[in-house]
Amino acid sequence: MNEQLSADASPILDVQHLNVSYGAFQAVREVSFSVYGGEIFGLLGPNGAGKTSTLSAVEGLLKPDTGTITVAGYDTRQKPLHARANMGVQLQATSFQPELTIAEIIRLFASIYGVNLDEASVKEKLAAINLEAAAGKKIAELSGGQQQRVSLIISTIHNPQLVLLDEPTTGLDPQSRRQLWERMEHFRNNGHAVLLTTHSMEEAEAVCDRIAIIDHGRIIAIDTPEALIDKHRHDPEVQKAVRKGKVTLEDVFIGLTGTAVRS
Amino acid sequence: MLETSIPKNSTVLAALLRADFTILWRNRRSLRLVLLLPLIILFSWKGLVDKLGGVFVLSSCITIGLTSIGLMGYTNSIARDRDRGIFQRLRVGPVSAWTIMTSRLLVQVAMILLMTILIFIGGYFVDHIQLSPAGYVAGLLLAMLGGAVYLGMGQAIVGRIKNPDTVNSTTRLVYFVFIMIGMFGEFGMLGEILGKIVVWSPYGVVRRVLASSLAPATWTMENTYALLASVGYAAVFIVLGVKWFKWESK
Repeated sequence: MNEQLSADASPILDVQHLNVSYGAFQAVREVSFSVYGGEIFGLLGPNGAGKTSTLSAVEGLLKPDTGTITVAGYDTRQKPLHARANMGVQLQATSFQPELTIAEIIRLFASIYGVNLDEASVKEKLAAINLEAAAGKKIAELSGGQQQRVSLIISTIHNPQLVLLDEPTTGLDPQSRRQLWERMEHFRNNGHAVLLTTHSMEEAEAVCDRIAIIDHGRIIAIDTPEALIDKHRHDPEVQKAVRKGKVTLEDVFIGLTGTAVRS
Repeated sequence: MLETSIPKNSTVLAALLRADFTILWRNRRSLRLVLLLPLIILFSWKGLVDKLGGVFVLSSCITIGLTSIGLMGYTNSIARDRDRGIFQRLRVGPVSAWTIMTSRLLVQVAMILLMTILIFIGGYFVDHIQLSPAGYVAGLLLAMLGGAVYLGMGQAIVGRIKNPDTVNSTTRLVYFVFIMIGMFGEFGMLGEILGKIVVWSPYGVVRRVLASSLAPATWTMENTYALLASVGYAAVFIVLGVKWFKWESK
């Protein structure tokens, strides 16, 4: 965790006793965690473990059964717009209007977040991600990595305190992935709180300051990647999962969540 | 806690409207299809104006245009954008959900106005159908009511069905049934019982209310019942559409 964070600092994201269900199926059970400024927090779990439901509840896209979520001190149920104004969200799919140009999309989202951007500012934003020539292009004309860069610029156009990234590097080549990691670290170093979901243990180990492993809707472990490895390296299930002699985060993850493939 | 400023609804709505009108303009092919079909029917019925009456021709064309806009245009664009995740992307911002839908609906209202005015102009210059000023104004207003019926129906379809391809085929089917059965039923070609059903169907009541509004002097009690039925259809479809609607297609 970044040194900027002191023990008594208020979390930027605070989730307490979150429960989410879809009919009779309970997807999230009593989930509690906090993310602080200057921290990249990873939420890991197999498919269907409850990551996306937890993230959707934070984003305000679904209504939890019980529990509280506060973003920058704003309760997401009582002050949803204030909470959302303090978060920047990058969804799994880029989800932008295919008929609009990149410049038009950036201006649309800037207006939505109350940011005034003239043409020069849009160009400046695009130049910062080496996409100055893309202003007049449509989103489908960009590569996957370029789309992710545009998406990240839009997600953080209002300089939010909390950045939520839902599997942002899926399908990216190593260069694009590294570039995105650098962007995440840049946010962390500037005091933002970053909540990241990923299936890549390599990514979690490389960029996350703390990690929560969620399975069957419950958080089963929460700590720094190094501490998680140290704590569980002698677990029999983790030992069974070790492939190359050295215990990795992936071995711990498999040891804790099992080897069965989830749908 | 730092004070957080939320953009005004008017600012958000203006940004959404700018984007939605740009998208409408970029989708000119579907725009042309929606506007052209009622105009083609209007011009091809030129020879029938004396037989059917100018008001019948205009009201039929406007009703067909409203059906195209409500079922083919609005419904499919909502289903497609929901499936693409565009609504979810907007909803994670500090945006009230109503502004997203209001922007979409205002674009459709503009389309209805444009379509109705084009039909009035085409009717005047090509088919030589002339109405009183009150007829034109009442026609525009009741085209909005007719629009509410079909936009509500489209909302109910896109609320009930999540898959965009299924929405597309369903709207085409409903559109075809409405136009074919509606027109032939009103001409008395489908028998008396089906003819009566058509008269009180969403197609029939909207067409009748429109026809009466274009010639306000001919308004009867039957037309008032048709007006009430139109309001009822619109209310039922809108309530069901809002109740069933989900912002994501999963």
